[in-house]
Amino acid sequence: MSLNDAVRAPSARGSFLMRAGTARATGDRTAIARLTLVVLIVLSIVALALSIATGASDASAVGVIGALLGGAEDTALSLRDRIIVFDIRMPRALLGFLIGAALAMSGAVMQGLFRNPLADPGLVGISSGSALGAVLMIVLGGALPAGLMLTLGPYALPVAAFVGGLLTTLMLYRIATRGGQTSVATMLLAGIAIAALAGAVTGILIYMADDKQLRDITFWGLGSLSGMTWTKLFAAGPIILAALLVVPFLSRGLNAITLGEAAAFHMGVKVQRLKYIAIVAVAGAVGASVAVSGGIGFVGIVVPHLLRIVIGPDHRYLLPASALLGGVLLLGADMLARIIVAPAELPIGIITALAGAPFFLWVLLRDRTRNGW
Amino acid sequence: MITASNLSVSLSGKPIVHGVSLVAKPGEVTAIVGPNGSGKTTTLKAIAGELASKGDISLNGHDIRTLEPWQLATKRAVLPQAATIAFPFTVREIVRLGLTVGPNRHAERIDAVTAEALAAVDLAGFAGRLYQELSGGEQQRVQLARVLSQIWEPVLDGEPCFLLLDEPVSALDIRHQLTIMQLARRYCEGGGGVIAVMHDLNLTAMFADHMVMMKDGRIERSGAPAEVMTDDAMEAVFGCRMRINGVPSGGVPFVLPHTASA
Repeated sequence: MSLNDAVRAPSARGSFLMRAGTARATGDRTAIARLTLVVLIVLSIVALALSIATGASDASAVGVIGALLGGAEDTALSLRDRIIVFDIRMPRALLGFLIGAALAMSGAVMQGLFRNPLADPGLVGISSGSALGAVLMIVLGGALPAGLMLTLGPYALPVAAFVGGLLTTLMLYRIATRGGQTSVATMLLAGIAIAALAGAVTGILIYMADDKQLRDITFWGLGSLSGMTWTKLFAAGPIILAALLVVPFLSRGLNAITLGEAAAFHMGVKVQRLKYIAIVAVAGAVGASVAVSGGIGFVGIVVPHLLRIVIGPDHRYLLPASALLGGVLLLGADMLARIIVAPAELPIGIITALAGAPFFLWVLLRDRTRNGW
Repeated sequence: MITASNLSVSLSGKPIVHGVSLVAKPGEVTAIVGPNGSGKTTTLKAIAGELASKGDISLNGHDIRTLEPWQLATKRAVLPQAATIAFPFTVREIVRLGLTVGPNRHAERIDAVTAEALAAVDLAGFAGRLYQELSGGEQQRVQLARVLSQIWEPVLDGEPCFLLLDEPVSALDIRHQLTIMQLARRYCEGGGGVIAVMHDLNLTAMFADHMVMMKDGRIERSGAPAEVMTDDAMEAVFGCRMRINGVPSGGVPFVLPHTASA
C-alpha cells in the first residue's frame, strides 16, 4: 500500500460516514436509497450470471456463450452443454429472479396497503388461495370446454392461480378492513382461516384426483425452481413483468396511505382505485409465481423489512429495491439448494423457510415492546 | 370560500349531523366549537369530502363532489385529529408526503417548502428525527407542517386555499398553542381561510373571526365570538352555568372554569 492509498483510505471512509451522518441530520435518505439501487442492480447481474454458470453438471456457461459469440464452430461445444446452459439453467435463472422479485415486491405492496409490516402474501393466505386455484385447474381443468383450454394453453395454470389469489386477497381485505382501518389481528386470523379452508378444499381435490393428476400436483407443489422451461417462462413471465412494471406507479399513493386512507384522500390520492390496482397486481404476481414454483415463503416479509432498515419506507425506492433484492436472494437460495446435496437438489421452499422463519420471529421479538403485542 | 348548506351526515345508519349550514370566508378563521359528540369532527370530515353527506358543499364555487381528489388537494388540506403511521418515516419524509400534489411538488420547491413548513411549526432541526420517536405534541406539529406544505401558498391561481384543522392545538403546550393559532391567523392574512374544530374557548375567542357553536349535530349559534359567547349560550350548549367576562382592552370574551356552577 502506498502512502497515498494509506492517506486516502480513511478519508473515503470518513466521507461515507459523513454522508450517513448528513442523512441522519436532514432526514433525507434519497442518496442512500439511490446508492442501494445501484448496488442491487450490480448484484442482480452477478446473481443471474452465477446462476447460469453453476450447477451439478460441469457444463461451462462461459465456454458455451464464448463459443457462440466467437462464431467459431467449436467442436468442444457439446450439444449436451448447450442444452444445459440454454434450456435448463437460463429459464431457471430468469424465472427464479422474476419469482423472487414478484414475491418480495408483493410483500412490500401488501405491507403498504395494509399499513402493516407483517402482511405477506404467504402469511395471510394469498399463496394458499393461488395454490387452490392451480390445483382446481389441474384436477377439474379437463371438465372445462376444450376450446377454452386450447385458448389458455400454458396460461391455464397461471390464470387459475391468479384468480385464486385475487379472490383470496379481496376476501381478506373485505374481512379485515372497516372504515378505512385494517385490523392486524383480524387480518392474520382471517389469513389462517382462509389458508386452512383453501388447504381443506385442496385436500378434497387431491383425494378426487386420478394418478396422473396426483403426479402433476405433487411435482408442482414441491416449491422448487427445478423443471423451469422456456414455456413456463413465457406463461408466467409476462404476468409477473406486467405487475413489476405497474406497481412502481403506486408508490406515491402507497406513501400517502401510510398516514391512513383518509389522509391519503386529503392529499389527492384516488384511494379506491389505488387499492384495486394494488390487489390485482399482487394477486397476478403471486398467482403466476405460485403457479410455476409452488409455495416459496418468507421472501415477501424478509426483503422489504431489511430494506426499510437501510433506505427507509419510501415506496418510490422500496418497491424497485425489494424486487431486485428478492430476485437476488431467491437465486442465492436456489444455488444453495442445488449445491448442498448435489447432484440432487433440495426444494427451495425449505431453504427460504429455514432462513425466513427465524428472521420473522426476530422481527416479532424486536417489535414486541414497541407495538405492545 | 367554503359553503355548506343543509348538510346532513349519517354514520353507519345513525344520523349525526342535521341540516348544518355554514360559510367559511377567505381571510377569516372559522372555529367550530361544542361539547364532545356534537358533530364537529363529522361536519369537518364532510366538508373535506371524506364522508358521504346530503346537502350542498362547495369550495370556491365548485361542488366538491364533482372535483377529483387531486383537485381538492390543491385547494384544501386536512389535519386529522389523530394520525398513526405504520413505518419508520423521518420527519422530513412525512412533511414531504404533503408535497405529492400541487405546485410545490416540483423538485426545486420541495426542500425549501419542507424546511419553511417545519420552521413555521417551530420544529426547525427536527427533519432528521424519526416520527415515532417524537412526543405527541411534536407529532401533531409535524402533521401540521405536512398539511401546511400541501397548500403552502394561501392563494393559488387567484383562488383562496383552506386549512381544515381538527383540534390543531389539543396536544400542545401553551406557547405552541399560540404559535399555531398565530400561524392560522397569518394564513388568513395571506388570503387563505381556516376552519378549525376547537375546544379551548379562550383561544377561539382570541383568534377566531367567526364562531360556530354546535350541539347534538345542529348549529346552536354562530357569529363573532363576542356575540356567540354569552352566559346563556354556555349553559344551553355546554350544560353548565358559567360567567363570560371580557378583557379590558378590546372586550375579547373569556371564560374561567372557576365560574362554573352545575
